[in-house]
Amino acid sequence: MAQWKKLGKVFTPQEVEGRSWLREFAQAPATLVFDGFVRVYFSCRPPADENGQYISYSAFVDLDYADRFKVKYVSKQPILSLGGLGEFDEFGTYPVSVIRDGDEVRAYYAGWTRCESVPFNVAIGMAISRDGGETFTKLGNGPVLSYSPDEPFILGGPKIRRFNDTWYLWYIAGRKWKMFEGRAEPVYKIRMASSSDGIRWTKVNKDLIENRIEEDEAQASPDVIYASGRYHMFFCYRRSTNYRCKENGYRIGYASSTNLTDWVRDDAKAGIDVSENEWDAEMVSYPHVFELNGATYLAYLGNQVGRHGFGLAALDGRLE
Amino acid sequence: MDAIQWRKLGKIFDPTQHNLPNDCVQFAQSPQSLVFDDFVRIYFSTRTKDKSNGKYLSHIAFVDMQKNMREVIRVSDKTVIPLGGLGCFDEHGIFPMSVVRHGDAVYGYTCGWNRRISVSVDTAIGLAISRDDGLTFQRIGDGPVLASSLREPCLIGDGFVKIIGDMFHMWYIFGIGWKIYSAEAPPDRTYKIGHVVSNDGINWTKNEAQQIIADRLGRDESQALPTVISIDGRYHMFFCYRQSFDFRNSRDRGYRIGHAYTDDLVNWTRADQHLVLDVTPGDWDSDMVCYPNVFECNDRVYLLYNGNEFGRYGFGLAVLEK
Repeated sequence: MAQWKKLGKVFTPQEVEGRSWLREFAQAPATLVFDGFVRVYFSCRPPADENGQYISYSAFVDLDYADRFKVKYVSKQPILSLGGLGEFDEFGTYPVSVIRDGDEVRAYYAGWTRCESVPFNVAIGMAISRDGGETFTKLGNGPVLSYSPDEPFILGGPKIRRFNDTWYLWYIAGRKWKMFEGRAEPVYKIRMASSSDGIRWTKVNKDLIENRIEEDEAQASPDVIYASGRYHMFFCYRRSTNYRCKENGYRIGYASSTNLTDWVRDDAKAGIDVSENEWDAEMVSYPHVFELNGATYLAYLGNQVGRHGFGLAALDGRLE
Repeated sequence: MDAIQWRKLGKIFDPTQHNLPNDCVQFAQSPQSLVFDDFVRIYFSTRTKDKSNGKYLSHIAFVDMQKNMREVIRVSDKTVIPLGGLGCFDEHGIFPMSVVRHGDAVYGYTCGWNRRISVSVDTAIGLAISRDDGLTFQRIGDGPVLASSLREPCLIGDGFVKIIGDMFHMWYIFGIGWKIYSAEAPPDRTYKIGHVVSNDGINWTKNEAQQIIADRLGRDESQALPTVISIDGRYHMFFCYRQSFDFRNSRDRGYRIGHAYTDDLVNWTRADQHLVLDVTPGDWDSDMVCYPNVFECNDRVYLLYNGNEFGRYGFGLAVLEK
């Protein structure tokens, strides 16, 4: 069975200087491989405002893969501006998923707005880069994937892929808000849509991954890769309440499929768990799998959902 | 084309004169008609206050009227459709709900309201279906059937649906953005009328920000509540329009009734150079006329509408003069 061999944390946002919008967090890593380096997009935050509320930006870091993934460059600016007054992405662009399309790079991102009865809502936007992924222009000021009868709120965590000339978007959709100790906690499930152009999407309208630890289990970061004749999904999941601790926090799960819509969950094959007492001792989350020079890597978050950065692991064995 | 002329018949329903469900006491906004064999049911949005913060919550209620459009038979005595759940698009109000018969069912297209932080609200259009002739409605899901999209970034609402041939047509409004006009006032929104079609009334194909009715007041004109009817073989749309800010208390900037017509359901000619239905000084509709709904009953074409204060004290009626 394949196992991930941990390479340690490779990026720490607190070490970056001169960027007021990048103080902490490097969440939901997503890669674009270049000749000589791998560009890892992530989402970060300036300090919280006087009410303790955050906004989030997305940016990238270039890692030198010939030199143990050393940081070569950090983007000088966020790759996307926040949305305008009353728009879906006014308070955050997090996370982002990127893919090459000819000379362009497309980014699908989750935009955050603030609500009165619950803290936030999320929908998925799209932007295009014509300079190799350094800057992006939004395709519109509204979302490319929004709410529908069975997906009433929190459409987030997009992961864009293209297989057999069809665009696929894996994402999460909110199922309910659960009141727990006076706080509204969202429950969300992994969903998917397909498209011939990446703009007009047809939703599959079903939960792809069965619940394992509880009915209200929250599932996120559905990252799909094709290997050995089947599709492999790595994702993360946690309990619906009291999850900000080691016992109930995020773990990485695994499922496989031969047709992209029917998935068999088998978390025993995830091949990675929390460490004893390192940067990823309390949780492992937001997996992203990518290939580089014939090897397969996993980028992921550790404690406090990436407050102190992300790490890498290398696949030992084969995905089968 | 002969000009459309309406003769006002006065206010026909005052919500403060009736006991309404959901602890609602004022407002009967955006009247929407459903004609039965021997009476006319008129749905409207009425308001209660949110106990947690004193803000309004809009609920749907109805009144059944004799076909002479003068006598009230009854008002609804129970909840027609509950508000949406925590975090849903219609958690803080449904205003308006437009109804259309489809087979044995009545489809209710709701405009659901949910409160935001940086701006007051966002809206989307939901679908709820009635199997008991419009007494109660059940949602097809917790989420909307029409929501914001790439080039329609906010405030999708006011869906009015008509089945023509075997296609569902919906006229609705989409927000083009929020703007701060004055440091003393909260942000105001601007919306325009669009059109979508569907085979099943559930899945709609958008044209993305194609405004179908030309502006009369410029880019800052807000257009709302389209209602469409066929009169003598031509489709007519009535709607209301106003300036996007300082429209609540300035009579000259408030809602007026607009009119457009089309022969192909695609290209609309705006035809309200001369006011379609003006305010009446000294009367219940002296400051504004808004939220029109047109329907046929006993070979007459009627127009329901609200007057001052967006319908706080009810709605009135006008009849088409042929």
